[in-house]
Amino acid sequence: MMKSGDPPDPRDLGDDDELDPVPDALDPPGWNGESPHDAIFNDPALWGGEAVVRDGDYAPHVPSRFPDPFTVAGEVRELERRVRNLLTPVFPLEVRRAQPLRSVWKRYRSFAMQRRSSVVDEMGRDPAIASRYQPLLDFLYRRYFRTEVEGVENIPRAGRAILVANHSGALPYDALMLMRAVEREHPARRRLRPLIEDDVFHFPYVGTFLNRMGAVRAHPQNAERLLADEELVAVFPEGIQGIGKHYRDRYRLQRFGRGGFVKLALRTGSPIIPVAIVGAEEATPMVARMTWLARAVGLPHLPVTPTGLIPLPSKWRIRFGEPLDLAREHRGEGSEDRLLVARLAETVRTQIQGIINDLLTARGSSAFR
Amino acid sequence: MHGAQDESGIFSGSHAIGPTDRVVAVTGACTYLGTELIKLLEADPRYLRVLALDIRRPDLPSDLVKTEHHPIDLTVPTVGTQLAALLRGVDTVIHGAFLSFPTHAASWAHELEDVGTMHVLDACAQVAPARFLLISTTLVYGPSRENPNWLPETAPLRGLSGSRFVSDKLRADLQVQAHAEAHPETRVGILRFAPILGPSIDNYATRFFSRALAPRLVGHDPLLQFIHEQDAARALKRAVDRDIAGPFNLVGSGVLPYSTVLAMMGRVPMPIPHFVARRLYKALWATQVSSTPPTFLDFLRYLCIADGSRAERELGFRPQFDIQRTIQDFVGLTADDEPDIARAQG
Repeated sequence: MMKSGDPPDPRDLGDDDELDPVPDALDPPGWNGESPHDAIFNDPALWGGEAVVRDGDYAPHVPSRFPDPFTVAGEVRELERRVRNLLTPVFPLEVRRAQPLRSVWKRYRSFAMQRRSSVVDEMGRDPAIASRYQPLLDFLYRRYFRTEVEGVENIPRAGRAILVANHSGALPYDALMLMRAVEREHPARRRLRPLIEDDVFHFPYVGTFLNRMGAVRAHPQNAERLLADEELVAVFPEGIQGIGKHYRDRYRLQRFGRGGFVKLALRTGSPIIPVAIVGAEEATPMVARMTWLARAVGLPHLPVTPTGLIPLPSKWRIRFGEPLDLAREHRGEGSEDRLLVARLAETVRTQIQGIINDLLTARGSSAFR
Repeated sequence: MHGAQDESGIFSGSHAIGPTDRVVAVTGACTYLGTELIKLLEADPRYLRVLALDIRRPDLPSDLVKTEHHPIDLTVPTVGTQLAALLRGVDTVIHGAFLSFPTHAASWAHELEDVGTMHVLDACAQVAPARFLLISTTLVYGPSRENPNWLPETAPLRGLSGSRFVSDKLRADLQVQAHAEAHPETRVGILRFAPILGPSIDNYATRFFSRALAPRLVGHDPLLQFIHEQDAARALKRAVDRDIAGPFNLVGSGVLPYSTVLAMMGRVPMPIPHFVARRLYKALWATQVSSTPPTFLDFLRYLCIADGSRAERELGFRPQFDIQRTIQDFVGLTADDEPDIARAQG
C-alpha cells in the first residue's frame, strides 16, 4: 500500500496491484551516479526486461527501449576517442620515460652540458658561452682591429644610459666590438646590452650567437626592461639600413628610424651618449646583396663580402660623445610629440655624423694603418 | 535532461553562497589541472561542493565527499541547457575542457574547445555565476618575430596561423574576453599557463620532450619557458581562492635556450634547416608518425615567453620550481644527482 504523499518510485515495479502502474520515463542512464557503461548494462529495458505496462491499463506511457539519443552520441564519441587514442602511434608515457641505458644517457647529458651554462639571464645571455668567446673577441679587438677608444669617461659609472651608435659593415661586428670596448676600457667594467634589429636577430647562428653574448632583440619593451634594471643599452637607430648599405655609401648615416630611442630616453629618463665607430665599413665591406638567394631560403638578408664571415684587418676608432640628458631638458614634454622626437633624433644624428667626419679626417687616407 | 535537473535541484536554491561555503564547477575535470584542483578543493574546508564535469569520471580517490561527477559532453549541441541546470547555485565556474595535445580530429577538437566554450559561456550567461575562470595557455600569444622577450598580458594574441590546436584556444580566450565585457556581474579571470612540464602530466610538451631525438632548426635557438605541474596546480587553486579579473600569465621562473633544455634532458638534437623541417614535419604529421604538427616548429624559431609579474603582484603566486628543477623533475633526477647544476645556480 502506498501513502498518497509519496511520489512513486519508477524503479520499484513490485507485484502489488495497487501500485501506480505507469512509471515515469526512465532516467537516461548514467546520470544517477553510476557510470554510463553500467547504466546501459543494468537497464532492464535493454535486456528485454518485462514491459512496464500491464494488460488493462490505458493511455500507457511507453518508455523507449533505447537510451537517450544524445547520450548514445556521447558514448559513441567517447568510444571514438578511445579508438583514436589506441590508433595514434604514441607510446605510453611509462615506456617513453623508461631509459634502458641510463648510465649512457647520464654521460651524454653531462657531455652536452659541458660547453654551456645551466642558467642564462632573463634576456638570454649565457655566461659560459660569453666567457668562452671572450679571448677571440679580445684578439679581434686588440690585435686585429687595434681599436682606439676616446671619451669612455662620458659613460656614467652607474645607472641607466642609452648609447646611440652608427651601424656599419655588412656583418654586426660593431656591436660586439662596442661591447668589448665598454667592458675593457670603462673604469667600472660595465656590461653593455646592444639592441639588435630583427633582420640580424633572426638570422641563423648570428642572432643566436649575439643573444648568448648579451645582445637583445630591439623592442621598446626589452629596452625599457633593461633600463629599469639600470643597465647600459646600445642602440643602432639606422637598423638594417645601416649594415645593408653598399660600400660606396660608407659612413653616410641613414635615417634614424622613427626616433624610437628618443622616445625611450624621454620615457625612462635616460641620458643619450652618441657613439661613432669608424673602421667597421672597411672590415666587412658589402659588395652585393643576394636578395634572390635570401628569399629562396627564407632569410631576411644575405650580404656578400670579399672574405665571407672573416673581417678585413682595418683599424677601428670608437669615440663616445658628451651625454645628452633629454629628459631633463624636455621635462613635461611628452614622448608622443612626434615633431619634438624627430627634431631630437635629427640632433643626435647630426652630432654622430660630426664625430664620424672628425674621425675620418684624423684617420687620413689609409683605413688599415 | 531530466536526471540532471533533478539532481541539481536538490542542492540549488536554499544555499546562500558565502565566502565559506563555495560551490565550484570544473569543466574538463579529467585534465591534469582539473583533477589536481578538485583534490585541493576537496581538502579545503571553505568549499562546500565541487561539480566535476567531464565526459569521463576523473581519476580521483573514491572517498571524496564534496565532489560529484556529472557526465557532460561539450560537443553535444544541446549541452547548454543541461549545463545551465547544473550550474544553478554554483558561484565559481572553472572552464578547462581543452585538449592537452594536438589531434588529427580537428573538427572534433574545434567542437570541443571553441564551440564548447560557447556552450559554457551561454550557460554562464543564464545563471550568472559570481566568478568565471578560463584555463588558457601562453601559446595564444604565438611565436612571432615581433615578440619582445617578455610578453605582458596586454600583448596582442597573435596565435599560430595554421594550427587548429592554438587557434581554438585563442578563440576560446577571445570569447571569454567578450563575455567579460558583456557580463560585468561575473568576475572573469583568464589564466594563461606556460607549457606545463612534470613527471605525471601528459601533454604536447611532455610528449615532445620524451623522445630521444628532437628537431632543432639550424641556427635558431630561442629561449623557452615552462611551469612545473605542481606550481600550475597551486596557481590555479590560488586563482580560485582569490577574486581575480582579467588575464594572468602563470609561468615558472627562469628561461633557458632550447638547446640547453635538450642538453639538460639528455635529448639528442637533430639539426634541420627550417625550410626543410617544415615540409618534413608536414609529411610526418600527415602520416601520423610525429605527434608534433608542423606549425609548432615556429616555437623553436621565435620567442614566446610570457611575463608572470602580474600574477606575482596581484595573485601572490611565486613558483617553487625554477626551470632547472622543473627539467630535472621531468626527467626523473633529483638535486643530489647533479651537484654541478646546483652549484652553478648558487
